[in-house]
Amino acid sequence: MIDALMANIIWMAFIVIGGVLISWSVHFVPVGGAPAAMAQATGIGTGTVQLAAGAGLTGLVSAGFMMNVTKDLPLILASGAVGAMIMIAVTMIVGTWVYVYGVGCVPSSAKVKVDPITKYRQDLYVSQGTEGHGLPTVSFVSGVIGGCLGGIGGALIYYSLIEVGITAGLSVGASTSVTGNELVGIAAMFAIGIFFVNAVIPSYNIGGTIEGFHDPKWKKWPKAVISSFIATIFCAIVAVIAISQLGGI
Amino acid sequence: MSAGGAGGGAKGGYPQQTIMAIGAVGGLAGIYLGHFMPPAFSFFGGLGAICAIVWGADAVRRVASYGLGTGVPSIGMIALGMGIVAALFGLSVGGIAGPIVSFIAAAVIGAIIGVLANKVIGMGIPIMEQAMVEIAGAGTLAIIGLSVVIAGEFTYGPVIENVVANGYIALIFIIGGMGILHPFNANLGPDEKQDRTLMLAVEKAAIAVVIAGFASSLHEGLMAAGLNIFIGLIIWAFAFMKYYGLVKRDAHAVVGTGLLPSAEELQ
Repeated sequence: MIDALMANIIWMAFIVIGGVLISWSVHFVPVGGAPAAMAQATGIGTGTVQLAAGAGLTGLVSAGFMMNVTKDLPLILASGAVGAMIMIAVTMIVGTWVYVYGVGCVPSSAKVKVDPITKYRQDLYVSQGTEGHGLPTVSFVSGVIGGCLGGIGGALIYYSLIEVGITAGLSVGASTSVTGNELVGIAAMFAIGIFFVNAVIPSYNIGGTIEGFHDPKWKKWPKAVISSFIATIFCAIVAVIAISQLGGI
Repeated sequence: MSAGGAGGGAKGGYPQQTIMAIGAVGGLAGIYLGHFMPPAFSFFGGLGAICAIVWGADAVRRVASYGLGTGVPSIGMIALGMGIVAALFGLSVGGIAGPIVSFIAAAVIGAIIGVLANKVIGMGIPIMEQAMVEIAGAGTLAIIGLSVVIAGEFTYGPVIENVVANGYIALIFIIGGMGILHPFNANLGPDEKQDRTLMLAVEKAAIAVVIAGFASSLHEGLMAAGLNIFIGLIIWAFAFMKYYGLVKRDAHAVVGTGLLPSAEELQ
């Protein structure tokens, strides 16, 4: 058990880096929660976990797809990042259409007076009794950055877990049986499990809602990153042992 | 935003020790019975999963009553995230003691995350550490219990082959998570009552057993799968009627609104 951990120490370090990236990425995603679903807060109208999971899992799928054709880590990470960015960008643009043409409100932030990117005034357009609504440009850009970081993190964890399995003597080759491939299944599930743990920890840190990197709450990220760092070390140890045991069957 | 509870501890109902005992002992007993009995009796794993899910729902109820700051679903997802990591680890190293090793691993990971949430992030929920341990343990037992329904045993090799490799584990992840997070999420509010919440947990867990029963037909054959689905449906019907009764008990009034008015009536 110990030698399995020592042999995979580099992959465990990658898993921890991936977990920390996911935790940091959540702080960039403009999460509005239930108030945003009623257009009473800036951001996308659902919870952190759903958004992070959606973007991260899309990143995982696109990274896995790239692993079909190459073993080059930068390409796999780029594929994961682009997949997650597309996912989060599509969610945000469709959300903006709904807010603008359906609800009929102007995308505006209540946390800053002017949009740091476009320099447009924000406070004039915030409806009374709300904390902003829709997705102003700065939140959109922030969300895409978050998707990029989350996708890289998810892809890094998945790639590392697959490499741990290959070290243990498993193969990722295509299987024609109905039961599928053991290594791909277990690596994907561990990646998802670690992803959820690292998506929920920062969502408690930001208290459920954040507008993006211009939000004052964004400065709290070191707390979540430290927590995720410690939690992911334990998850990585457990995951590496479980996958290494798979080689003995 | 303060989604969830009113900011105080959950009140009333069965003491938490009772529920904890039902969840831990019932969950482990069901898992071991399902493992040692012939494959046709794999539904015992489902009964264990029901006990574990009820326990998890009660722990979610207690911790989410303080107000998590974000939606209740997040805590169900972290439960299953910790649970899946711990469950597969325990089964891989534990052999016949697998579920117990998983349970202990889940308790350790849960305690770490609970301490981090209170000490580093500063959530300030007094029962956070204990609740995270309970939620992680319940999530782990729910995953192993439903895996036993599908695979008929909890040995690492067969579970990997029959549950993980073909992707049923993702199904278990979501339906187990639903069973733990949905009951309090659906019932929260000032009139929330423990027996109503937990009955909804039984009902959701029974649906999980039915779905796992369908999945078990691939490996265990139609007879065992049929029995799993049948047991699940019976528990579901019982729990649903009971839950409906509790909703009527707690509601101020139950009135029929009739159909939508027609165009002439609206004139």
